[in-house]
Amino acid sequence: MISFATCGIIGKTGKIAFWQSFLAIFLLWIGYALFKSLPNDNLLASRVAVMTGVKIWWILLLLTGILSGLVAGISGYCGYQFRMAMLAKKTDEKIA
Amino acid sequence: MNKIKAFLCVVVPIALAFLFNTKLGNTPPLLKFLNPFMGFWQNAENNHFMFNHKAKIKGAIDKIEIVFDDRMIPHIFAQNDHDLYLAQGYVTAMHRLWQMDFQTRFAAGRISEVVGDKAIEVDRYQRRMGMVYGAENSLKGMMADPKAKEMILAYTEGINAYIKTLSKANYPLEYKILDFKPEDWTPVKCALLLKQMSAVLAMGSDEFYMTNILKKFGPEVTKDLFPDYPFREDPIIPVGTKWDFTPLPIPKTPESFTQAQTGDVKTTEKREGIGSNNWALSGSKTASGYPILANDPHLDLTLPSIWYQIQLHAPGVNTYGVSLPGAPGVIIGFNQKIAWGVTNVAADVLDFYEIKFKDSSHNEYWYNNKWNATNKKLEVIKIRGAKDEIDTVFYTHHGPVVYFQKPKYSRANNVPVGDALRWIAHDQSNELMTFYYLNRGKNYADYRKALTFYTAPAQNFVFASVDNDIAITPNGKFPLKWKDQGKFILDGTDPAYDWQGWIPAAQNPTVKNPARGFVSSANQSSTDTTYPYYINWEFSPYERGKRINDRLGAMSKATMDSIRLMQTDNYSILAQNLVPALLPLLNTEQLNATQKEALSYVNKWNKRYDANQIAASVFEIWTKRLTFDIWGDEFEVKGIPMRYPSRDRTVEMILKEPNAPWYDNIHTSKKETLTDLVNEAFKYSCDSLERRFGPINKDWNWANVKQSNVPHLAKIPGFGSKVLQIGGAKSTINALSETNGPSWRMVIELGKNPKGHGVYPGGQSGNPGSKFYDNMIDTWANGQLYDLFYMQSADDKSGTVISRLKISK
Repeated sequence: MISFATCGIIGKTGKIAFWQSFLAIFLLWIGYALFKSLPNDNLLASRVAVMTGVKIWWILLLLTGILSGLVAGISGYCGYQFRMAMLAKKTDEKIA
Repeated sequence: MNKIKAFLCVVVPIALAFLFNTKLGNTPPLLKFLNPFMGFWQNAENNHFMFNHKAKIKGAIDKIEIVFDDRMIPHIFAQNDHDLYLAQGYVTAMHRLWQMDFQTRFAAGRISEVVGDKAIEVDRYQRRMGMVYGAENSLKGMMADPKAKEMILAYTEGINAYIKTLSKANYPLEYKILDFKPEDWTPVKCALLLKQMSAVLAMGSDEFYMTNILKKFGPEVTKDLFPDYPFREDPIIPVGTKWDFTPLPIPKTPESFTQAQTGDVKTTEKREGIGSNNWALSGSKTASGYPILANDPHLDLTLPSIWYQIQLHAPGVNTYGVSLPGAPGVIIGFNQKIAWGVTNVAADVLDFYEIKFKDSSHNEYWYNNKWNATNKKLEVIKIRGAKDEIDTVFYTHHGPVVYFQKPKYSRANNVPVGDALRWIAHDQSNELMTFYYLNRGKNYADYRKALTFYTAPAQNFVFASVDNDIAITPNGKFPLKWKDQGKFILDGTDPAYDWQGWIPAAQNPTVKNPARGFVSSANQSSTDTTYPYYINWEFSPYERGKRINDRLGAMSKATMDSIRLMQTDNYSILAQNLVPALLPLLNTEQLNATQKEALSYVNKWNKRYDANQIAASVFEIWTKRLTFDIWGDEFEVKGIPMRYPSRDRTVEMILKEPNAPWYDNIHTSKKETLTDLVNEAFKYSCDSLERRFGPINKDWNWANVKQSNVPHLAKIPGFGSKVLQIGGAKSTINALSETNGPSWRMVIELGKNPKGHGVYPGGQSGNPGSKFYDNMIDTWANGQLYDLFYMQSADDKSGTVISRLKISK
């Protein structure tokens, strides 16, 4: 939701809207996940990795980042496109 | 065009967020689950730093201190009973909340609420067997006793105080996986937990099978193959013990026999698993001169473990042992002066009654020469993602009519359709007081007093005290029955078939300080044939009990280690009895190379089910196959659920009746003999092992065939243990199978200061993200025991303390 709004307001291009949102959440989630997991010697992450079928704990970590980043990125992109669509409408109306 | 684009741009992110935050089928809501701020990453505990904590619980009367030792075992120091059980509830919830929730939900038939309609038959079974009905009655009994009431309410308060501290981020992991939230604990859940233990230990009943067998084979054969006492036995109460009471008159056996209902169900072999060992040695046989007591209850092994270690210290009580998450008190353990333990009696306290209904409305049934009204109980089963299901259960004065139609649920295989259930667990009870008094007991008299409060599941309570008394009592509330009342389905119309009264508690079989210097039990027959009352017609096979008694009989100057080694004894009396009888029957000419090699292993075998024994694997499959060869053709009949004769009876036949008609396979025209079957079974054993593992190699080792492991309670993959390379088998003292075995091993040396030793295969924490989740498994697998830290005060420095929790109001 946040990325939707942010990119809606300040997004310069669709690509940037997507990738910046993606990266931001990707790094944030992976960073915090590591912060929780490392003192745990990655015990839990390994078990959950087996449970979900990915087997290796850092693949699970990557998945966390990628999935969340994707959702954020798409939201950001959509936010940007939404603004573009609204602006285009306004210009259409102005012209007409 | 733009409008559509704009619309999509709003909808898509919302849809995505919704998708990834919803549970789909079995997958947890992905985004919620992977979110490091709220999801499973939050459950990863810091393994390197432990902190002291403070907590405020409004209901606490005084200060409470909980000291955690280096295995995360809590030692509670309270100033009164209320605070003691409050703290026990709090700290048990801290470590095992999800387990307590899940086990009581399962007991109450409320799993569909969480996982959807795939669990509907599981829930229906629990409801229809009267679990909630029994728990509510049981609770009435407990709440009528002011002490039990105080314990339960304080324990409940403690659990709820802990639940209040939880936010979504720190819900236990399984809540996040299954996507539901913890609900408040209520007193009836304590009762449900206890009833569930009753179900696990005392819900065995074969009368449906037995009635079918009686109908098919007639009374002569039934009596011959299913005798009321095994040909070899070493009973719990030693042979020749005198009974010092005048028994009540036994009710008369009615003349009639009953007809059975049959269903479309496959027979399952009687599962040997629910059982345990315990024993106590008098000071006359120990090096210290004081008694040593040992107990290892055999239950399904799970993570988290069914047991939770704890020490309870308050004015009047200082006890250490294992507790059941969900019920207050210490169940198996010791205090300064006494130690106690339990094994299952497996009494016949569950009966089915055939009911004659007036019509298909089931509103009335015939009993005592008139029509009687049934009671209707509506069971509402909430189902996640679907409408509530309402199940109507009809209750007669015996109990609920469990099924009118056979469900697709394997646990219900032994339930006859249309019959009412009379089960001890439906009665009012107050078991908690037994443990309350045992926890505080100082001597034999206290032990005997504690036993009078106990109803079900009946247990062989072993006892030892520092005064050098040892004792054992098969104990519970036993119905006063005529011989074999309950071996078959009973006539529900005739009052002569009802339970006629109770065996007075003081007349339960018991022995104190027997001449032989030890007491023991391994679920075998409670007594010899002179005991005047009927407890059951069949008990566990005698091999474990015999081995225990052989070893204890030979012991002198025993130490903790002697006993510890006994608990992991892999020697099989079954092998000792059968191998010399079977080997001569093998036709070695007809064996192929692999089979000949396997035979050489069996010839050299020391009869131990050790981890690296190939002979054990061959023998185990061989004898199981032989049992099937003998009985399968006669006792597995489509449409007539039955069971095989017991192992004792099978062994007796092999040893003493080489020409019995049962060896012949009735489906073949040839007339088979025992020799034919022994050969077929042996070849089958070798062939199946070869199919699985190739020609003889180390994969044929018993540990690899047995595959013992400790799975997660809800079988979540990745949360169980690895396969353990350990020995043991059901016919040995170390009674391990794939996932069932000694769930707790304990040895207590009494003396001026008691020394406790124990271990269970698991860890104190139920959080898979904690290093205390499974840290004790290896010690247990190696047959070792930890020294238990029995603290005398909160400042006791004789052990390692890693953190403290101070509770105030």
